[in-house]
Amino acid sequence: MAINPEKIDILVGVASYNNAKTIGHVVRAVDAGLAKYFPDKKAVIVNSDGGSADGTPDVVRNATFDHAAIFLSHPVYPAHRISIPYNGIPGKGSAFRAIFEKAVEFQADACCVVDADLRSITPEWMELLLSPVIKKGFDFVAPLYNRHKYDGTITNSIVYPMTRALYGHSIRQPIGGDFGFSGTMAEFYLKQNVWETHVARFGIDIWMTTEAIANNFKVCQTFLGAKIHDPKDPGADLADMLLQVIVSLFNLTEKHFEIWKNIRGLRDIPTFGFRYHVGLEPVRVNVERMLDIFRTGVKDLKPILIEILGPGDFGEIDALIGHPDKDFRFPIGLWVRVIYDYALTYHRKKMSSEHLLKSLVPLYLGKTASFIMEVVDIDHEGAEAEIEKLCREFEERKDYLINNWI
Amino acid sequence: MEKFSEILFQPFKDFWQWFVKFAPNLLAMLIIIIAGLVFAWLIRLVILRTFRGINFDSWSDRVGLTALIRKGDVWAKPSDFFGYAVYLFLAVIFVMIGLDALQIKVIDNLLSQFLIYLPRALSALLILIIGYIIAGFLSRGVLIAAVNRGYQYAKLLAEAVRLLLIILVLAMALEQLQIAPGIVIAAFSILFGGVVLALSIAFGVGSIDAAKKVIEKGSEGKKEEKGRDIEHI
Repeated sequence: MAINPEKIDILVGVASYNNAKTIGHVVRAVDAGLAKYFPDKKAVIVNSDGGSADGTPDVVRNATFDHAAIFLSHPVYPAHRISIPYNGIPGKGSAFRAIFEKAVEFQADACCVVDADLRSITPEWMELLLSPVIKKGFDFVAPLYNRHKYDGTITNSIVYPMTRALYGHSIRQPIGGDFGFSGTMAEFYLKQNVWETHVARFGIDIWMTTEAIANNFKVCQTFLGAKIHDPKDPGADLADMLLQVIVSLFNLTEKHFEIWKNIRGLRDIPTFGFRYHVGLEPVRVNVERMLDIFRTGVKDLKPILIEILGPGDFGEIDALIGHPDKDFRFPIGLWVRVIYDYALTYHRKKMSSEHLLKSLVPLYLGKTASFIMEVVDIDHEGAEAEIEKLCREFEERKDYLINNWI
Repeated sequence: MEKFSEILFQPFKDFWQWFVKFAPNLLAMLIIIIAGLVFAWLIRLVILRTFRGINFDSWSDRVGLTALIRKGDVWAKPSDFFGYAVYLFLAVIFVMIGLDALQIKVIDNLLSQFLIYLPRALSALLILIIGYIIAGFLSRGVLIAAVNRGYQYAKLLAEAVRLLLIILVLAMALEQLQIAPGIVIAAFSILFGGVVLALSIAFGVGSIDAAKKVIEKGSEGKKEEKGRDIEHI
């Protein structure tokens, strides 16, 4: 349904691509959340679609929700829904750009974005993502989830510890994907010239979080419960995902060097929502295959890895090849040096960024296999304690990155 | 006696007359060569400044050009190397033009042959340099992609890609130089076809076990343990 570009209070963005199976539930949950928690606010749901062939926009338009079945009264301003195709590089970031454009066009006060493949979204997510903006004046709301201890390994082993060490903000899910933000923040994002880079794809999440922190916007996080969504496209290549996320992380590291080089210590981030534990789906892992790729990678990519890490650190990694699977452990100090060396090599532009970051995959799989074996017999809190140790290591070795940043 | 002195001095007179006639050409040659060397030196300076301005050395590191010139035992920076190469090239051109000013028939012929062949030699050199860089880049990309997919013979595959591309580049360069074009094309076809066939057979025979494993895994897939795959993001 087309609506006039008049001022609205809330905009909820849902980026989609072939999500007909799940987007109906997401739209109904969003609609219910807006009706329940913000009945007197003018709201619009924007579906930014990447050319779905399974009728996703039709599902968005036709998803019905009977307000009377849940609430005593109807909302004053029922949420409008619009479905727009986005232009530019196909990807989540380009979809978000179209959402930011609509937020600016409608002069929205508060916005949020949620994934279209979510199965665990509830109406409460709207309150949790939007209230900190509407009632407390925050500009950016990052999500906090209950996740399986094996999940989010790019977040846990690279993105979270490095972002925390650099900027001193403990945002636990910097690439969570479901965010709340103010109209001012949307306008800021839209003005940045990044839409032809990896930010247009998987790099969007870390970019949104880091820009909010680095530019001193008011930031908080909110506990949303479990994040359960449709299985990702099996064709989505790990190397591509890693490349897009890490290139964005390293680009931001270059851009904000003058800011992060002076930051020390950890700043508390206000956290909203009621923490509780939920049962999580079991996760299959094939540690043996991860270690096979690690070993082949270290052997076959030796000249490239020596160029990046130097002979000393490469020697330490090379020595890990001989360890039997059950005793395999990737030392956290070594891992931190690996990531900082990759950041430095990227900064010095010593080789093609694609080759550089894709050569990280075998090492990342080695680190992931090591983490899985370390936490296999311990609970969620124990796994978090291991991640905390890694974060401290990143913080303690930050000077290495600063001193070698030429 | 007069006749004898005439016989004795006539060659000197002839030489003097020839020299008087030839001297302007010699002078012109010297001026052209000296001015040319100064011009080449200035161009070298401009190239050096431009290359430094656009971070040519970093770019060369990235695309493998530095590694290429190191293989030729050249240890100067790529910007210095290319600046010096252009200087030498211009110096040779100006020396040839200078020699042309002498108006000696043999040198004239040599020069015209040199000038006719020069564009071919330059484009062959360019094909070799660009081809080598592209071959190295693609081979490294194949190696990394194959390793990340867990292929055991990733290095072999990457080397095969490099070998095929180098053969292609060499054939293109020789064809450009017009050195026995018929033989070059025939040799290339035989060599390229032979390498592809050999690799196909090698991969086919070597992959029997791997294919068996994949098929076995596929049929076992239905019996796999419950749960979903790990989420990296």
